Amino acid sequence: MLEVALGNLRASGAKTLIVGSILTAGALFVVLGGALIDGIDAGMRQSIQGSLAGHIQVYNSHSRDKVSLYGELSGGGELVPLDDFAPIKRLLLELGNVKAVVPLARGDAVIDTPNALDRVLSRLRASVRRSLAGERSATLAAELVGQKAHTRRIVTEMAGSQGVARTLVDELRVQQNDWQALRTASSDAFWTHFDADPLAALELLENRVASQSVDGTHTFLRYAATDFAAFRRAFDGLRVVEGTMVPPGMQGVLLPRLLMDTSLRLRAARRLDQIKVALASGRRIAKDKELQRLVRENVAQTRELYEQLDGPSEQLVVTRLQAALAAETSNVAQLLALLLDTRDETFAAHDAIFARDVAPLLELSRIRVGDTVTLKGFGQAVFVRTVPVKVYGTYEFAGLEQSNLAGQMWLVDLVTFRQLRGFPTVEAAREAAALERSAGARDIGRGDAEAALFGGGAALEAHGASQALDEAKLLGREGTDDAAAPRSSGRPHTQDEIEHGAVLSVAVVLDDEARLEETRLAIEALAKERGLPLAAITWQQAAGLVGEFVGFARFVLWLAVVIIFAIALILINNATVMAALKRMSEIGTLRALGARRRYVFDLLLIESMMLGLCCGVLGALLGLASVLALRFAGGVPAASTELHFFFAGPRLMPVPSVRGLLVGLAVVLVVSLLSGLYPALLGSRVTPLTAMQDRES
Amino acid sequence: MSAIVALHQVSKDYMLGKTRVQAVRNASLQIQKGEFVSIVGPSGSGKTTLLNLIGCVDSPSSGSVIVHGQDTRHLRDDALADIRLRHIGFIFQSFNLIPVVTLFRNVEFPLLLQGDLTRKERHLRVMRLLERTGLAAHALHRPNELSGGQRQRAAIARALVTAPSLVLADEPTANLDAENGVMIVDLMRQMNEREGVTFIFSTHDERVMWRATYVIRIEDGKLREREESGVRRPPMRL
Repeated sequence: MLEVALGNLRASGAKTLIVGSILTAGALFVVLGGALIDGIDAGMRQSIQGSLAGHIQVYNSHSRDKVSLYGELSGGGELVPLDDFAPIKRLLLELGNVKAVVPLARGDAVIDTPNALDRVLSRLRASVRRSLAGERSATLAAELVGQKAHTRRIVTEMAGSQGVARTLVDELRVQQNDWQALRTASSDAFWTHFDADPLAALELLENRVASQSVDGTHTFLRYAATDFAAFRRAFDGLRVVEGTMVPPGMQGVLLPRLLMDTSLRLRAARRLDQIKVALASGRRIAKDKELQRLVRENVAQTRELYEQLDGPSEQLVVTRLQAALAAETSNVAQLLALLLDTRDETFAAHDAIFARDVAPLLELSRIRVGDTVTLKGFGQAVFVRTVPVKVYGTYEFAGLEQSNLAGQMWLVDLVTFRQLRGFPTVEAAREAAALERSAGARDIGRGDAEAALFGGGAALEAHGASQALDEAKLLGREGTDDAAAPRSSGRPHTQDEIEHGAVLSVAVVLDDEARLEETRLAIEALAKERGLPLAAITWQQAAGLVGEFVGFARFVLWLAVVIIFAIALILINNATVMAALKRMSEIGTLRALGARRRYVFDLLLIESMMLGLCCGVLGALLGLASVLALRFAGGVPAASTELHFFFAGPRLMPVPSVRGLLVGLAVVLVVSLLSGLYPALLGSRVTPLTAMQDRES
Repeated sequence: MSAIVALHQVSKDYMLGKTRVQAVRNASLQIQKGEFVSIVGPSGSGKTTLLNLIGCVDSPSSGSVIVHGQDTRHLRDDALADIRLRHIGFIFQSFNLIPVVTLFRNVEFPLLLQGDLTRKERHLRVMRLLERTGLAAHALHRPNELSGGQRQRAAIARALVTAPSLVLADEPTANLDAENGVMIVDLMRQMNEREGVTFIFSTHDERVMWRATYVIRIEDGKLREREESGVRRPPMRL
């Protein structure tokens, strides 16, 4: 039967070729598609597990929502806090298969990023303080002159802009007082009398003028609070790009490097970066409306650049740009506009001039490593709480450098988080106790109340001398230099303080991922036994829609497979039926010779299955070869940076597997079987009479 | 001698559109074991239908057909197939060899269906028949590599490979030239005498029909007389 089947396959060359090609291509598609999906699965696993999730997320079982690492606007959804991390950590480490335990808490906060005027005023106040302290040097004098001039220029520009706005649109809600303050600050009289009372002048500028600058912004941020040491040990893909890791025991923040290079970057510099990337990918300014818009915005918004330049810096820029651009004008705004008005043929040169001659004199980022920023968050009682923290550095995850999903989270320490949310900390409890002691608070009995309250016979009056408040001493800044800048709490905290306090979730990293479900159930069981309100979910569940992406991709792949093979089934079925009909005389002969119907059915089906087997094997091997070739070529490049997260890098590496090959073969065999059934049934119904009726030679 | 085939008042009707056609009408005959019989009649006379009824390829509309002692009227399809496989050999007008396998495999095919012999036994039997039909040198050729006469000889070998008691040939010489046609019938006659197998073949060729021992004429579905041809040999067994 096999020989007859094989012979028939060879004999019907065209049909075998067509059907075989369809089956081979189908097997190749299934194997290659499966390998690509497996590659995405591996990539996502690495990205999600390796950046924030671990294998399991543990959280308070009383929470209304589950942990959502990427989806909720408020970071952790409606998670009920876990009051004390320490017993949870002990419980988790008791279980086998737990490699690392990382406390986490995600939340949202706001910072006010300083505008150009804020920065200049900060430097001016520092110089004024030095002058008031008695310092007399030529350098200080020059700095004061330059800084006052710089401040005046910015204020005058602001007054000019607002004045125009007021004449155009009276309905603008420009506070009259603010407008008056701006007019005052831009007047000659104000600057003439600045030195007579510099502190008062600074007060006006800082509190009533600087806030009117449109350049300053509220930056909304999402943060993940953690124990930095444990986080770094568990997620070894973390890399500090600039600065340092937050030192042990210190409050601090790491910024995502991608955010620093984009949202926090000077807008003109960011636009130049965007144009550069676009040109490198083949787009052209002359033909691309988006790029043209970026150029227009650069030309129109040079103020954020020259506002940063004080007198000497501005002169330097003018000299440099006059030389580089062969321009005659000495107006820095015009020169910058000329520089930023780029065409396809001039962009590279102008970008280089900007980097060489202008950028070194500017603050390219609204936040610098080393700055102290004030995080504002809503506490548990809906009060706004502020915590100043130092920016120690920037970070990224290896392979996810360009990923927005992995590059948006600020990393802060847990103590800062607890302060922001108003959770009691060990430090706070100690401080409360110390305050009680220093205030003499003590429990008193009813009988001693009068004596305790009124001194027990001592004189009710005492006399004291008045004295000026020592601000610096009171605020703990005595003897320090940066009195003007906001300060972080600065007091080191212990590991004990980190572990004994509230968290919102815990990331658990396992030794053996294959035992994930077993471990998850063990966590919940042990927590129930110990009376701890813990729920445990997998990394995929915690990643929400992002984690479901692979499942969705597999669904799409299989939907495509079903559709393609359904069409293939019809085509193959038609071809096979036609081939069977052509062989009616042959089949009739077999029947006349004594073959039963079942024999004919089996013969035709075996033909179909043999073709399926051969083509399935061939297609699977070709699929494997394609996968290996792709891997050899370095993988499939991501079409956009958004895909970096799913690919765990800029390229997707397909993952070959025996399972994938077998699935490809199995699908083709099933299709062959299904497509062969009807023709086999038809053939088995051919009677031996057909042989007798064939009278053609 | 015992009758190997017996028809009793057999009729066979077909519907051609709305018209009922009586292909065979009230046919009764007996064929004895070892006979070499030709059925003669013009085209459309019912020769093929009669052979189909005898060969268990078709069932009568009325009457009984007894083949190898079994009334085939009420037998199911598989049972009829078994009778054909074990007791009847077929030689077709168009040879009907399986084009995708060798001559050897074509001849061997009925033995494979039977499944009774070992590989060696099958090989021996097939080669013996190919030798007797003068085709041993072409055992590994495909049918399309042979002449018409060679193909028909191969068909004869295939028909005899299962040692049937009855061989039916429907116009076996129709697609052959005169010389080959005579040769084929003579070969069939030799097999009849040597193997003792009963042969019934249909023809409308005068040169061929008288090579049979008996000639049965059929016209408009009705059997006429049975005539002796005068050419008679004692049957020989395998």
